[in-house]
Amino acid sequence: MSVRSVALAACAAACVLGASSVAASAQSAAPNWREIETKYIFGFTEGSGVGLEGEKEFSVDTEARIGKSGGRYFASESKLEFEFTPNQYIQLEFGPFVSAHSISNVRDLDDRQQLGLGGFFGEIRAMLLERGPSSPLALTLSAEPEWRRLDETSGERVNNAELELKLDGDIELIPRRLYAAFNLLFEPEGTHDPDHVGAGWEMESKAGVSGALSYRILPSLLIGFEAWYLRHYDGAWLNTFTGDAVYIGPTLYVQIDRKMFLAASWNTQVTGRDVEYPDDRLNLSEFSRHRAKLKLAVEF
Amino acid sequence: MFWKSLAMSVVLGAALVAGAQAQQAVTLSVSVRNHRFEPTQLSAPANTPIVINVKNLDSTQMEFESVSLRVEKVVAGNGQASVRIRPLAPGRYEFYDDFNQQAEGALVVH
Repeated sequence: MSVRSVALAACAAACVLGASSVAASAQSAAPNWREIETKYIFGFTEGSGVGLEGEKEFSVDTEARIGKSGGRYFASESKLEFEFTPNQYIQLEFGPFVSAHSISNVRDLDDRQQLGLGGFFGEIRAMLLERGPSSPLALTLSAEPEWRRLDETSGERVNNAELELKLDGDIELIPRRLYAAFNLLFEPEGTHDPDHVGAGWEMESKAGVSGALSYRILPSLLIGFEAWYLRHYDGAWLNTFTGDAVYIGPTLYVQIDRKMFLAASWNTQVTGRDVEYPDDRLNLSEFSRHRAKLKLAVEF
Repeated sequence: MFWKSLAMSVVLGAALVAGAQAQQAVTLSVSVRNHRFEPTQLSAPANTPIVINVKNLDSTQMEFESVSLRVEKVVAGNGQASVRIRPLAPGRYEFYDDFNQQAEGALVVH
């Protein structure tokens, strides 16, 4: 069974699980519109939530990139994530991640069928501004270092370090029903001698901004929409612009039971520029045609 | 750069926690009986740390939980526990028993 088949089977299973939860919720005699944690309701865009003090969570969080120039391209990273909130201001996460690549006949990439340990990550989130009765807006700063032994695009063996810095903001537009969010992203990274020619660290960076809306149609079900604008540069400090891309797509969040939830999203690149291929209508060198996210989490 | 950001965040968090704990806390009490909070409403002053003593008078365990207070705490059957809350802005903050969601209450901060 191919990597892509496994991913699709996981998506299908998740959707069945989600649908049964929604059905159960719809049959509930007394819908409960309590406050919700907003971190995972916006897809790739993260909400401001830092969890509840004392809460611990384990999740499998998969991000897949699908489609490149010509051929067939599928790559994913699945984080096996432990998350906990030691106090009411900070949240910590860490764990390994598994990388999968299925690549054939793609421009500038070697063919590859591979599944292996991709690396490790950690994350710290600090609340800057909390939502409350007097402020519907909440802001959180997050820093996520990652170390990779498999390149996320090509799957080649690498020594790569990345730091994802984000400002996550969200606002409650209609109490307990409609939420909006934005992210500001800056992500420098370095890869040691990627072409195996005895060079040092090759640096690159990414910047981005997103906007998202999420509407709660049932107490345990939210659907939404998000848009991302991403720019890629050579150099760690946004030195030389090499291309950009715009993604849009739907989002889904299902509270399966009181300690388990599922979050999913699908983004499609609708426009992009690649400095190296100026005639292309999309940027498929630095970004994929589609990307998808599926997270299944259990709190304890 | 990451380590500097991490250190600053930890220091900031520790400072906020330490600052909150340095202030004199207001202590409140609430009981759970027959899967209901008694009283259902608590009051506290704004911008003051709060300690809520939760006494579970039922034989089954309960979980004191609140998204806006950002806490969750399991309390054993016929047991008790303390929940520390950061200084809050004025407003109404709901809490409930996550194991029996019909049990609801609110903390009103003036």
